[in-house]
Amino acid sequence: MASRILALVGDCYGARGGIARYNQDLFEALADGDVEILILPRLGDATGIDLPPGIRQAAAIFNRVTFSAAALVAAWRFRPVDVVFCGHVFMAPLAFVLARLLGARYWLQTHGTDVWNDRTAVSRRLIEAADLVSTVSRETRRILLTWVNLPPDRVRVLPDTVRDVFTPGSSRSDRGDEATYGPGPVLLTVARLAASERYKGHEAIFSVLPALRRKFPDLVHLVAGDGDDRGRLEAAAAEKAPGAVHFLGYVPDADLPDLYRRADLYVMPSTEEGFGIVYLEAAACGLRVLGGKGGGTADAIPDERVGAIVDPADRDALVTAIVRQLELGRADPSAVEPYRRPHFAAAARALYARLVAQPRRKKSGL
Amino acid sequence: MCGIAGIHAYLDVAPPVDHGELVRVTERMTARGPDGSGLWLADDHRTGFGHRRLAIIDLSNGGAQPMQGENGRLTITFNGEIYNYRELRAELQAKGRVFRSESDTEVLLHLYAEYGADMVRRLRGMFAFGLWDAARRTLLLARDPLGVKPLYWSDDGWTVRFASQAKALLAGGAVSRDPDPAGIVGFHLLGSVPEPFTIWRGVHALPAGTTLTVDATGPHEPVRYYDVAAALAARSASRAHDLDGARGRLAGALHDSVRHHLVADVPVAVFLSAGIDSGALLGTMADLGARDVSAVTLAFDEFKGLALDEAPLAAEVAARYGARHIVRTVDRPEFERDLPMLLDAMDMPTIDGINTWFVAKAAREAGIKVALSGLGADECFGGYPSFVDVPRSVRWLRPISWVPGLGALARRGLSGVIAAGLGLHPKSAGVLQYGGSWAGAYLLRRSVYMPWELETLLAPDLVEEGLRRLAPLSRIAAALEAGKPLGDFDRVAALETSLYMRNQLLRDADWAGMAHSVEIRVPYVDPFFLAALPPGDVLANVRAKDVVAEVPSKPLPDSVRHRRKTGFSTPVGRWLTEAAGRGVSEALAEPAPAGIDFSAASRSWAQRVWRSGWLEPATA
Repeated sequence: MASRILALVGDCYGARGGIARYNQDLFEALADGDVEILILPRLGDATGIDLPPGIRQAAAIFNRVTFSAAALVAAWRFRPVDVVFCGHVFMAPLAFVLARLLGARYWLQTHGTDVWNDRTAVSRRLIEAADLVSTVSRETRRILLTWVNLPPDRVRVLPDTVRDVFTPGSSRSDRGDEATYGPGPVLLTVARLAASERYKGHEAIFSVLPALRRKFPDLVHLVAGDGDDRGRLEAAAAEKAPGAVHFLGYVPDADLPDLYRRADLYVMPSTEEGFGIVYLEAAACGLRVLGGKGGGTADAIPDERVGAIVDPADRDALVTAIVRQLELGRADPSAVEPYRRPHFAAAARALYARLVAQPRRKKSGL
Repeated sequence: MCGIAGIHAYLDVAPPVDHGELVRVTERMTARGPDGSGLWLADDHRTGFGHRRLAIIDLSNGGAQPMQGENGRLTITFNGEIYNYRELRAELQAKGRVFRSESDTEVLLHLYAEYGADMVRRLRGMFAFGLWDAARRTLLLARDPLGVKPLYWSDDGWTVRFASQAKALLAGGAVSRDPDPAGIVGFHLLGSVPEPFTIWRGVHALPAGTTLTVDATGPHEPVRYYDVAAALAARSASRAHDLDGARGRLAGALHDSVRHHLVADVPVAVFLSAGIDSGALLGTMADLGARDVSAVTLAFDEFKGLALDEAPLAAEVAARYGARHIVRTVDRPEFERDLPMLLDAMDMPTIDGINTWFVAKAAREAGIKVALSGLGADECFGGYPSFVDVPRSVRWLRPISWVPGLGALARRGLSGVIAAGLGLHPKSAGVLQYGGSWAGAYLLRRSVYMPWELETLLAPDLVEEGLRRLAPLSRIAAALEAGKPLGDFDRVAALETSLYMRNQLLRDADWAGMAHSVEIRVPYVDPFFLAALPPGDVLANVRAKDVVAEVPSKPLPDSVRHRRKTGFSTPVGRWLTEAAGRGVSEALAEPAPAGIDFSAASRSWAQRVWRSGWLEPATA
């Protein structure tokens, strides 16, 4: 009989964003290894999506109380459950209770700011109760272990993976794309434009565009993504670098590889990335990347074959780094190979095997 | 005895081993092994070992490390000595295994091939090693049962690193220096950092008596293969409790342990005090046929003519057993000169280790590479006051601990009175609160500061977090979990062996000895010896120290047997007290009274040690 995972997640199939994609990658890797997974999401509609064998996704329920009640019922019907997977610390109380009721192991996945900032005593106890805590970056693991009392062996890192569609292709100049944005160079940022995520560093780039354009008069900055902060960012771009920034709006995942190939440098001096999968996706398409100091960026930009990391508060350093990266030309996609699907799947399955090798928890009424 | 290091990139996304980092870590431990150095990198550069060698067994290149097995599957970097390696070698040869060298290191490779990680149960010795199995793609880290040899490890989530010293790991430049409140609080409470903590969050001590396996998912939980309390319980259950046979068993156990600890291809010396423990070692060495043994004794001008001077009695013992006696006098200027080097060599903050620093220095000057020490005898034979104080405290005060809140209330009241100048030690305020439980009474006995005093020394949030993580009373109580009831003697023996001896005495003997490239061997710290002794209640009844004095065929002289135990009554304690908080030069320039008890100096010295910059970036 296949091993069974009950997964409580914020979002997965039918949703956008890095965490949804991470969850999909993880579950597909595990389902390939003879694991049956029932996903209970709070957001996202998987209707019409052809899910991989072994994976089912229930209808999303946003209301917390209704979600909890539905999760109890679904969990009871899904017995026997080997592992309760919790995709966000916000749902840890429910995951903890379900794991105890079902006698299952309790696996908590963390991404970054979810465990950097929420340091309440309750969160700490719920994290410490986990049989396995996985993080996407070494930095998140380090920060977590500064305030949570967990044995170091119980906190494992499982980095994001780069999908196969992200591969080098013909570059902008090869494709004769100059007509669209001029001779360039073209800087690109792909990120949600949310007021809650201003750490992405859009404005830091806007502020150095005038200096860069003195050296590269035709340089432009493409900003892909949408969100509640877009209006403010458009105004900031118009003020700091008139005519140099083009807002593209939301770009579907399927169009991203081509977008990366059309640029000369990916710039996102973000200071709070949990991991920064976009850096790797861009690099996998042959685009050099510039990330910001802080968070998990160092895990996604392993060395100069891919790009560089800079403190966005240091504007001179930012200009120098952009100029240097533009001079270095294309990224070396081989640096991204360890992040490809086969490596991720092997690591995910090994981690799962390690977890289920632990004895099941005794069922308890708390 | 050596310094070992290793780096293993276990996740595919981790960069390959940084050769420069491995060199930096290994070279930070040059003093541990001045006779040679070696580096090994796996073909795929995902694993690398470093080694600094102090050649003791098989002085030829056959014993050089890191050492690889014949087919290239197994590679090891090893620190320590395996005293039963000849027996194991013969056993493995009988199974058809072919050896290329005379070293104990090669025995470990074959033993692993035969038994896997369980091999550690077969070893008699002091050891810490990292062993790479290329076929299974696993790294095995292991440490000896009682914690004679240290091993520290670090894991960043992609790559695991290990080394004989915590500061060496930091010297590599890749390990986080985030402070660990548990280790910092532990040092202030106990005067040493209790394992598995260090004062850095990213560096962990591998607990004594455990192994740790690293596979493609990273390090697993350390697996315990030896536990002191369980060993004492087993000894108590399996032995006859007759007093008559006890003397013979004790003598036999000591002969056997000393015989094993003499295995070496270089001369073995002894650190000789005026006490029974080291004298019995020297006498037993003589009985076993050791000739021209060097015996090293520390002396201080301040003690000349006083009962505190150990040199005259030590000379008498040395002459009795035909040893070459080396008396090394240490004075204040030398102490002052050595202090910066001593603090640099100190791998983890500690209030002890000074005497070992100087006696090892004296040994090194005399060309000695290996010396036996009487360390551990007090834990075996009930030589500490705690063997009387702690059980008595529990017996008398347990009823008070049953009244909720009474002890805490009394402590608050007494603290105020003591602070007002009652003349009592501040710890005494906690007698009613802590004295009624084994863990509490032991903490009172061994602590430098008590928990309620820490906020006057450290930031309150650090204290809160540190106490939460450290959980000192639970941690102490865990040392008594044997699965079977233990008698009073064995309870205190378990506490002293698992906590004080392991975290303080053995760790200090390692860094202070290794700083001078001297291997300190401890025949009283040996699980085989421990198991062969009579049960604790018998040892308590036969006055074990008297029996130890009679183990040599020529027993120790009465002058030694009847000498009052002086503990750490040395001028070093006085110098430390004076130096603490006022600057060494200033303090040493002043005249001082005669020797004082080192323990009384421990608070100010602890502060002096802590203020020497442990958390600064330069510390490595």
